[in-house]
Parts: sequence; structure tokens; C-alpha cells
Amino acid sequence: MKKLLCLTTGLVLMAGTAYAEDVWTGGDGLPTSPLACDGSPATLTASPYNGATVQNAPDLKGKQISIVDVPKLIGIGYFTATAKGVADAAKDLGNVDAKTDGPTKANIDDQITLIDNYVTSGVNGIVFAANDPEAIAPVLKKALSKGIHVVGYDSDSTPDAREWFVNQASFNGVAKALIDNIASQIGEDGAFAIVTSTFTTPVQARWISEMSAYTAKCHPKMKWLETVEAQEDNILSFNQANTLMNKYGDELKGIIGMTTVATPAASEAVKQANMCGKIAVTGLALPNAMKPYINGGCINGVVLWNPSDLGYAATEVLRAAVDGTLKPGDTSVKAGKLGDLKIVDGSVVLLGDPVTFTKENINNFDF
Amino acid sequence: MLSRYVFRHETILALLLVLALALSANLSDRFFTVDNLLNQGRMLTEVGIIAIAMTFVIITGGIDLSVGSILGLSAITLGVVWKTLGVPLPLAMVVAVLAGAVCGAVNGVIIIKSRMPPMIATLGTLALYRGLAEGISQARSVRGYPEWFFVLGQGEFFGVPTQLWVFGLLVVVAAIILGYMTFGRVTYAVGANETAARFSGMNVDRAKLLIYTASGSMAALAAVIFVSRVSTTRSDMGMGIEMDAISAVVLGGTSIFGGRGTMIGTLLGILLIQTMKNGLTLAGVKGDGTIIVIGSILILTILISNLVNRKRD
Repeated sequence: MKKLLCLTTGLVLMAGTAYAEDVWTGGDGLPTSPLACDGSPATLTASPYNGATVQNAPDLKGKQISIVDVPKLIGIGYFTATAKGVADAAKDLGNVDAKTDGPTKANIDDQITLIDNYVTSGVNGIVFAANDPEAIAPVLKKALSKGIHVVGYDSDSTPDAREWFVNQASFNGVAKALIDNIASQIGEDGAFAIVTSTFTTPVQARWISEMSAYTAKCHPKMKWLETVEAQEDNILSFNQANTLMNKYGDELKGIIGMTTVATPAASEAVKQANMCGKIAVTGLALPNAMKPYINGGCINGVVLWNPSDLGYAATEVLRAAVDGTLKPGDTSVKAGKLGDLKIVDGSVVLLGDPVTFTKENINNFDF
Repeated sequence: MLSRYVFRHETILALLLVLALALSANLSDRFFTVDNLLNQGRMLTEVGIIAIAMTFVIITGGIDLSVGSILGLSAITLGVVWKTLGVPLPLAMVVAVLAGAVCGAVNGVIIIKSRMPPMIATLGTLALYRGLAEGISQARSVRGYPEWFFVLGQGEFFGVPTQLWVFGLLVVVAAIILGYMTFGRVTYAVGANETAARFSGMNVDRAKLLIYTASGSMAALAAVIFVSRVSTTRSDMGMGIEMDAISAVVLGGTSIFGGRGTMIGTLLGILLIQTMKNGLTLAGVKGDGTIIVIGSILILTILISNLVNRKRD
């Protein structure tokens, strides 16, 4: 029994040291490029194509094709919206059979297995949002080697495992929008905390890195209290927001939600604690989930792109790649109702600037 | 005499498996290809390896919920020991498996010394090991493994995925130990009646410690294969894999109360689940539909098997 106690204590100590690291922002540690504080546009540099090439693809120009859309997970509003965009694009194009299928949890293994099965079943194209850029690469490369066109959206794989990637908004653009938004509400010396999905999710980690760089550059006096994980889970996000309020008390002036689940959950937590107006919440969120809080005046504004457009664009890009109208070296691509989209960084299609939803415009959006 | 074989749970399972295979082949012409079947073999290996050890654990009347977390912690150990500490990769692989063994042994010691129910003990270590994995990794994934390392998870050996050889070998060894060796008899005895086993002079504690250590080691081995298959290391690897392994074992006819179960049953359970997953997807059923079917099959199979066996008694 004594031995057991020693053992347990040892383990607890080990766990303790593992967590003893100081203010961990949750970034990915990769180089950052914060935008100018006054909002002057960043210069876009053209670089050579760095996506992959599909091998022995059958010539399907203008012919009926079947594609599968594999989001990170199914059953949350965000990916329901992207799936709707995929279906809309398929309808507009008229020669695409599209289907959305994804894991029920944001799990790398389930997603890989699913894609693998679709490769076997013989689709002509795959659009995906990766749960892990590296882990998804082998199965996508396998698809490419079997003549299947591959386009990413939302969360990228390594560039050599897909042809094109549709980026919802540049990382530094989102970072600037979020930090400027919170700064305008809590002031230049306010303190804020972040509720993210997990530290391992590539997009969130990228945004956080950019946010931390932009904060240091343009709002140096603001205090970054803590970044906490809440998966993409409603209840966990709500609890984490409550924990932050209890832990920091009056010091906490703002919360930024990095997922479309965390932002409304944090808003609900603030509302239930009667802290509307005392604690500002912003973050990435779907307008429908935020309408009660924004119309009710508790929350000022949230940031997002239109996820339906994202799915729409990915499907249009895939069709263009199949038809051969989008080739390496192109600087723009026609995407149906979305018009011409810019191509940057070799193989990244830009959807556009993020939208800030406020009381004035939120009721114009329905997703 | 014949009925003894006809009504065995394993026979029912084998029939179901044949039925599932026939149905899948019928629903999609892409199912019954060598390419697809071998590929499915590649994907079931990690769950399979864990289920082998889990069979022993459940036969003793225990359960090991922490295997998914051990998988995550071992994967992180592999990555950190190799990349951060600069240890040669083959040695790092050994260290990772040892780390899994230590985790398993800790489970065993807690269960034996404190007489804590295995479900509670491993529920605790499920959280503890995952937390350690996340803490040690600092949420960073380790990438950039050398090409030779991928042979294990992505390569082939005589036309068959490398990891299937490992899995096959382990199944045979485990089946021999469980069915024909003294250790196997002790395992059954512990599960059937632990007190009786103790009074018969069996070293129950030693058996349990060995089994939980093996369970941890197998999870770690699965981790090394998994890392090689997906070419990256993440702290959330293997989350929920314990449920897949337990499902396969229970579907294979191992009694959750202990004392009963076979390796061939577990193997059939794994194959049946994988066939259904793959067959249904190829037939155009979506992911959510597939898990509903698998859940129903699990309940129905056990139900049928119980009914048939009760009638015979």
C-alpha cells in the first residue's frame, strides 16, 4: 500500500512538471507575419505551384463526376454549412454528384479510414478538411495516385498531398480582425483569455500564433491571460468560460472563442453570470448561433467567413481541376457565383476577407 | 456431439462473417478485391493488437480502459525520445514499448495492491496517461520520420502489409498461450473464480500483473505501428480505441464477467466489425449509418448466441 502511494505521488509530480511551463499561448511555433496595424493591405507574392499532381487521371472534362466531401466531423453547424455549399455548387454545376460524409468525432483515424474506403469505392474527386495535416497525407497521396482529384478546404494537409487548398481567410487577416475587435471593446490595457479547440488543431494553433504576434506588434499593453482547450464541445466550452471568470475575477475583461462552438458557449456563460457589458466576448461564430446574444445586446460582434461559400468554392475548384481549366501557375480561378478567386502561395485559393457580424448586419445571414 | 460445434458462439460468428462478406461483395464490386481486403487488414491491425491483450484482461474478469491513452503516451514517448532527446529511432521504438509496459504494470499494481475494481483504476489512468501525453508533447506533433520507418505501417512484405504479419504472429502466439499453456488455464481460473484460484495455489497476482503489463505493451506496439502508418505523432492518438477493442472482444464471445472467451472469437469479432465498416461504406452507407448497424449487430449477436445456448441447456 505504501509503495502504491509513493507511485501515485511520483506520477502526480511528473504530471505537475509537465504542466509547469509558463503562459502557453497555444500557438504552433511557426513563423508569423502580422498585418499592419492600420489595415493597409499585405502584398501578395506569387510563388511557383507547390501542390501535388494527380496521376493517370481519366479525361472527364465536362463529364458527370462523383465527388465526396469529407469534413473534420459531421453534426456541427459549421460543417453542415460547408456541406450545403458543396451541394449548392454541385447543383449549379449540374454535372457533379456530391456527397458529404465524415467522422462523428474529429478523429484522425476515423477520417483516414473513411477516405480510404472512398478511394476504394472509386470516386472521381475528394474535398476534405483535415484533422491533421501530416496524418491525412498518405491516404490523399494514395487517392492522387489512383487518378482521383483532391482539393482541401478549411484545414489543409501538407501541400504535396493535395492539388489545391481553399483558404477561408488568411491567418493574419483573421488574427487582426479578432484582436482589433477585442481591443476596441476592452481597451488597450485590458486582459483577455482564449478558448480554443485543442492545442493540436493546426488552424487554431496557426491563428493563435498570428494573434499573439499581432497583439505584440499593435496592442502591446494588452494582457494575454491564458489559452484553454475545450475540444469542439459545447458543455466543455461553457465550463471553461466559467472557470476563466471564476479564476481571474475582475481582471478578465474579454474572452475570444476560437471555434464556432466555443464563442456562443462563452457568450452564454457570460450572460448567465450577468456579466454582459463587463466581459466582452468575440471570436469565430456562426451568425445563427449568435443572434440571441448580439440582437440582445450582450455581445458586440463576432468574426467569420461564410462557410457555405467555402464548401461552394472547394467544389468549384475541384471541378475546374478535373476539367483542366485550373492549371499550375494560374493566378485566379472562376468559382461560379463567387466570381474570380485569387491564388496565392503557389496553390492556395483565397476565399476573401473575413466578415464581422454585428447588430447591423447579422440578420442578413442565415447559416 | 455435432451440436457442440454447431451452436458454439464462434460458429455463429463465423457464419455471420461469411454472410457479411457475401453481402458486401454483392453490394459493391470493389469489395472483394485483394487490394481492398489487404488494405482493410492494414487498418484493423492496431485495434486487433490491443484486442488480443484485452481478451486476456476480460477473461480474468477485468477491463483495461486506459489502452487508448497508453497508445497516445507511447506515441508521444516515441516522438519525444527520438526527436527531442536525439536517441536513434530503433532504440526509441523500444523505449516507447517499454513506456507502455510500465503504464500497464502501474495499472496492474494499482489493481492488485488496492483491490480497486479494474474499471475504476483504468478509468483513472485513462485520464492520467492522456494528460501526461498532452503535457509532455506540449501539443506539438513530431514529424519527419525517416523513410525506412514507414515500412512498418505503410509497407509490404511478400505482398502483405507488414503490420498484418506482426498481427498474425501475435494472434497465433496468444491463441497458443491461452488455449494450450498453463498460463492460459490460470487466466481462465482467475476469471471464473478468483478465490478458488487463490486457494488452489495459483499465483493470481502475478498473472494479473503480467496481463495488464502485456496490455500496456500491446497498446504501445500499436502506437508504433500507428505512428508509422500516419507518419506523425499526436497526443490525441488512440482516443476511444479502447471501446473498439472491447467491442471486438465482447462480440467475439468473451464474457465480460470473466472465465470465458477464446482468441479465435476475438479474431472473428475484429474481422466482422471491419468487414461491416468497409462493406457498408463501399455500399454507399454514410459513417453515422455504419455505426448504428455495428451497434445493433453487437447486441443482436450476443442475444442470439445467448438464446441458442440457453435452449441447449
